[in-house]
Amino acid sequence: MPSSLKARTSGTTELLYESFLSRWLVIAVGLVRAYLARGSYHGLYYSIEKPLKYFQTGALLEILHCAVGIVPSSVVLTGFQVMSRVFLTWAVTHSVREVQSEDSVLLFVVAWTVTEIIRYSFYTFSLLNHLPYLIKWARYTFFFVLYPMGVAGELLTIYAALPYVQKTGLYSITLPNNYNFSFDYHTFLILVMISYIPLFPQLYFHMIRQRKKVLGHVEEYSKVE
Amino acid sequence: WQVEPNATIGEIKSMFHKSQGKSLKDEDVLQHLPVGTTATFYFRDLGAQISWVTVFLTEYAGPLLIYLMFYFRVPFIYVPKYDFTTSKHWVVHLACMCHSFHYVKRLLETLFVHRFSHGTMPLRNIFKNCTYYWGFAAWMAYYINHPLYTPPTYGEQQIRLALTVFLFCQIGNFSIHIALRNLRPPGSKTRKIPYPTKNPFTWIFLLVSCPNYTYELGSWLGFTLMTQCLPVAAFTLVGFIQMTVWAKGKHRSYLKEFRDYPTLRSPILPFIL
Repeated sequence: MPSSLKARTSGTTELLYESFLSRWLVIAVGLVRAYLARGSYHGLYYSIEKPLKYFQTGALLEILHCAVGIVPSSVVLTGFQVMSRVFLTWAVTHSVREVQSEDSVLLFVVAWTVTEIIRYSFYTFSLLNHLPYLIKWARYTFFFVLYPMGVAGELLTIYAALPYVQKTGLYSITLPNNYNFSFDYHTFLILVMISYIPLFPQLYFHMIRQRKKVLGHVEEYSKVE
Repeated sequence: WQVEPNATIGEIKSMFHKSQGKSLKDEDVLQHLPVGTTATFYFRDLGAQISWVTVFLTEYAGPLLIYLMFYFRVPFIYVPKYDFTTSKHWVVHLACMCHSFHYVKRLLETLFVHRFSHGTMPLRNIFKNCTYYWGFAAWMAYYINHPLYTPPTYGEQQIRLALTVFLFCQIGNFSIHIALRNLRPPGSKTRKIPYPTKNPFTWIFLLVSCPNYTYELGSWLGFTLMTQCLPVAAFTLVGFIQMTVWAKGKHRSYLKEFRDYPTLRSPILPFIL
């Protein structure tokens, strides 16, 4: 990032990231407390439903950050990830009440929460020019488990929603109508699930390549010493 | 590599069997270039290329044929009992004629009217372009020719108005293509400012740089009104966005190239855009 931009934005952006970080910590804490209170992990979605919705939607700002250059990530990749999360949060989990008590929801919520806590810590500390190696390592290593975990949770949730969507005709339009248009949300969800097949490996291997680039250099420097 | 001073760039190019960048023109003569006794040429490999004519013919033939498949209700599209039947609504027949006329016109213009600045474009464009044209054609045709199609709300009045707009804009679009062609002598690549001619359909040049796009938008608005079909509206919108991008680019390059370019003109919509 150009140093002039860094100097101008560093104050506000750090605050922003610290606030994002704390929000995800709120979700994490909420989950842990609810789990301790209930004694089981069923239905934990409801304890963090509102914060999840607000924070995940707020992440739409992320796309703007990439576009402006505050964050050195690709606009396309970030945009895609944020849109898919917003879709899961609102168009699937919120819209189909019956899946809200599914374990798969917890699976992706936990995956997202841990990922975001690490990621925002990474950004915040980077901007403060005081990045502990542990955070950098965590960001580029935890994804090995968190990514597949999140994807599994997302796919299972969509799959669980299918019969209810078909039965109720949710978000679907049938012919005949005055605008000569039709949309079958059930088929659309199946297509979304299929799209994970080409897209998920691309994102996964992108992270692996990033890891080699970022963590690989550090090892070289320590060898030279 | 040694060449005579009076060799043309085109001849040198053919020695390489590769395409060159925009910097020099085929017609440039070596000794007239601003270089000394030795010159260094930089060549850029543009990758696999395909001719504009080929791309246009392929991307336009697709919609023509695909739409007809839906119109004649070829098997495996709709419920079997409707195979090879025709719609009972006369607007559906009219729409088929308009859509087919539009693409036949485009094919003929590609073969006989347009004079292209560049011979080729990157090969991957044909896949991108065909997906766009063929995909949208199938999507539109599916609904217009569907057994459960609903004709326009205001019936004959609406269809009549829509047809008038469509035909007016088709003639307009064709007039502009002819006017642009006449600006450029055959085989040349000269660029001139287009001006209104005796044809009233070209008088729009007073207000717009790229009236071919303006008329194209009008045609598809007419078709949307005629069919009252949301996918057609979507196609019109996407096309409009793309054409606006092209029109703005063209408008900018006119302004850059010609000092005396008329100031009243907008890129695509008079006074607005």
